[in-house]
Amino acid sequence: MVEKRLTKREGVSTILDIRVQELEVWYGPAKALENVSLHLEQGAVLALIGPSGCGKSTFLRVLNRMIDQVPTVRVKGSVHIGAFNVLDDDIDVTALRRTVGMVFQQPNPFPMTIFDNVAYGPRLAGVRSATKLRQIVEDSLKKSALWDEVRGKLRRSAMTLSGGQQQRLCMARALAVHPHVLLLDEPTASLDPVSTAKIEELIVQFKGRYTMVIVTHNLQQAARVSDLVAFFEQGHLVEMGPTHDIFTAPQERRTEEFLTGRFE
Amino acid sequence: MIRQSFHQELMQLEQELIRMGALVEDQLRRAVRSLTERNLVLARQVIAEDDRVDAMEMDIERRCLTLLALQQPLASDLRVVSTALKIITDLERMADHASDIAKVTVRLNQEPLIKPLVDIPEMARLASSMVRLALNAYIHRSIEEAMTMIRLDDDVDHLYASVFRELLEIMRTRPDTVAQGTYLLFVANYIERVADHATNLGEWVIYMVTGQRKELND
Repeated sequence: MVEKRLTKREGVSTILDIRVQELEVWYGPAKALENVSLHLEQGAVLALIGPSGCGKSTFLRVLNRMIDQVPTVRVKGSVHIGAFNVLDDDIDVTALRRTVGMVFQQPNPFPMTIFDNVAYGPRLAGVRSATKLRQIVEDSLKKSALWDEVRGKLRRSAMTLSGGQQQRLCMARALAVHPHVLLLDEPTASLDPVSTAKIEELIVQFKGRYTMVIVTHNLQQAARVSDLVAFFEQGHLVEMGPTHDIFTAPQERRTEEFLTGRFE
Repeated sequence: MIRQSFHQELMQLEQELIRMGALVEDQLRRAVRSLTERNLVLARQVIAEDDRVDAMEMDIERRCLTLLALQQPLASDLRVVSTALKIITDLERMADHASDIAKVTVRLNQEPLIKPLVDIPEMARLASSMVRLALNAYIHRSIEEAMTMIRLDDDVDHLYASVFRELLEIMRTRPDTVAQGTYLLFVANYIERVADHATNLGEWVIYMVTGQRKELND
């Protein structure tokens, strides 16, 4: 079990780093990622940028083994989150996905109450005490800055919330199972500017508490929220570096061409 | 190229900057010539033209802020725009100094010079060359040209020290020369400052090309 190993080796609330070595991914005969190696320090935010089809979403989906859902996929290399390799065959994938939470492009609350959405994960993990569940729900909604907006409406359907609120609910749902890593797949792509700003503010506040990887097509968003940027192109990690350096003076010509729109 | 219209605007911005730089270089040459030739008409022209430089600075500044706000340039595009924003301040100060020199011409009017002007025109020649070299370095994106230009600053500084000593000596021995001697010291100082601003231009060109900020003016 991932969590047991984590508890033993890393301590309960440790923030974990991510070390990827020689990662290769194929979809059938097509290579989607080629020899990707990188290290992300614990508590840092990494933004993945690059044109559509460059491999950034594939990379993200390897980190919590969502990639397993593609029938023809083959993955090689190693992906260490803390001390354990998520690509190990004997990994408990359900436990892994608690440790490595994910928020998607479209808010995807479950068709149940706001309370039950957040309590879903802890209940699955065996939390039965009503008091404890209430506490977890409140803490998670506070962390995702939604508590003040929903505190009197926890028994209402999550579907009554606005898109931006739903996305923060999804963040609360991910936080409720005490993840160490958060994956964000274009988390504001369907949101208006105010809701986007709220999500971005959460990401900035979460720095140091969770290690985060965000896929975004919005370069300004990557600039605002990330500590590090990785530029992918045609399955290759072209360049990775501190956000300031990548956006003001990238070292690789391909990165430069992508950032300045001189990209064919 | 995807962002074609944006890159056209960037090129226009560069053209405007080069035009402003050429005008400033011209202002400096004419200001010092007005002094050596005692040409009051020319001096008054230089003073009047300073408004044009100020207007150009405002125009380029507005273009830069618009590009930053609306186009959100990154990487080399960001460096081109931020370099332009910094460079126009240096250019505007240089033009102010040219105008200051022209004002000394007006102030001295036809009063005979306390000494023939040799080192001051030479300083001015060097400083104008620096401005032109800096603009060429900007146009060519050339670190080498920027470095060559920056090295000239030492020659300007040496000449300034020598002018300073010479004028001080004249004023010490002939107290009636203090008023004009002080004006000429100002002029030498203005030119020395122009050379320092040109050095800044060189440093910004190096930043624009490499992304590295280096202080080369010591």
